Amino acid sequence: MHEYSLSQALLDGLTEHLQAHPVEGRVRAIHVRKGELLVLSEEALAEAWRILTEGTAVAGSELRIEKVPVKVRCPECGYAGPVEYATEEGWHFVVPILACPRCEGKAEVIAGRDLAIVGLAVDEPNHTSADPGSPSLPAP
Amino acid sequence: MHDIRVPTEDVLKHQLELAARNYEQLRKRGIRAVNVMGAIGSGKTLLILRMAERLKEKGLRVGAIAGDVAGDDDYRKFISAGLVAANLSTGDDCHLDAHRVGHALETFPLAEADVLFIENVGNLVCPADFPLGTEADLVVISVTEGDDMVRKHPKIFAQTDVLAVNKVDLASFVGVDPGQLVADYRRLNPHGRAVLTDAKSGRGVDDLLSSLGL
Repeated sequence: MHEYSLSQALLDGLTEHLQAHPVEGRVRAIHVRKGELLVLSEEALAEAWRILTEGTAVAGSELRIEKVPVKVRCPECGYAGPVEYATEEGWHFVVPILACPRCEGKAEVIAGRDLAIVGLAVDEPNHTSADPGSPSLPAP
Repeated sequence: MHDIRVPTEDVLKHQLELAARNYEQLRKRGIRAVNVMGAIGSGKTLLILRMAERLKEKGLRVGAIAGDVAGDDDYRKFISAGLVAANLSTGDDCHLDAHRVGHALETFPLAEADVLFIENVGNLVCPADFPLGTEADLVVISVTEGDDMVRKHPKIFAQTDVLAVNKVDLASFVGVDPGQLVADYRRLNPHGRAVLTDAKSGRGVDDLLSSLGL
């Protein structure tokens, strides 16, 4: 239910960035990194983006969402890295278990709660084709 | 077509910073705060009132912030029970956030509370993404919601310090096994603490307070 407010926050950040660092050419796609712990519907985010960007410099751009896996740091054994997941039958989702996978200690989440725009796919400045094609995205 | 790196800021970072500010403000005043989450009708308000009774017996002063979409029903219950309280209507928003709570703390008589319960809007989805800056997070499930609630909303339970399975006196009437909820919670959250409660009779309230470190 907070997809619209977070889409607006993404758009505000991008608008500010583009004012300071303008790009030439039409923006076709927006590369977003989304932490897998966030309870956000990707469909709702995309729809919110479509509506909120109407009339802006990035109108018509497509949101490309990349899921960021959870990473933890364990203060007990020093482990830092990915976690284990509850994948057995009966769970409706693949759920990260927020404990240290090495010593089972209480671990601190260091990735997987973030939401940020990290890249754009932009037409060449003189691009005139009506076909947007399939924009490629920068590596994460 | 070409690709451009755009290092914009994490849009949730601001919320985390505000939560850290709330945490610091409460910590320096020695206030123990608990974010109380759970679905509508799970029994959050009554459980807070029961915990407040016990804490008062221990000589602690209890405050509460009543987060709701609209109205002041819970706020009035807190005031009637003699708690220091504030009402926090979100105006249709489905969760509290650190920004709203920060403003509520600006006017809350913090000098009059040792423990502060912040009752979130009834919702098992959105509050998971918005830490408030409390020392502990509690989620309340009523057995009447069904024994698959942890499986349906795993992300909030994976990140919560304490689970209260409430209305356990009704479990046999609705054919729900509270043990299933506890087992699912422990699978997801090996360090979480689960307590069976019946707020109406007061069963389990002392255990719940111990689990919250209060």
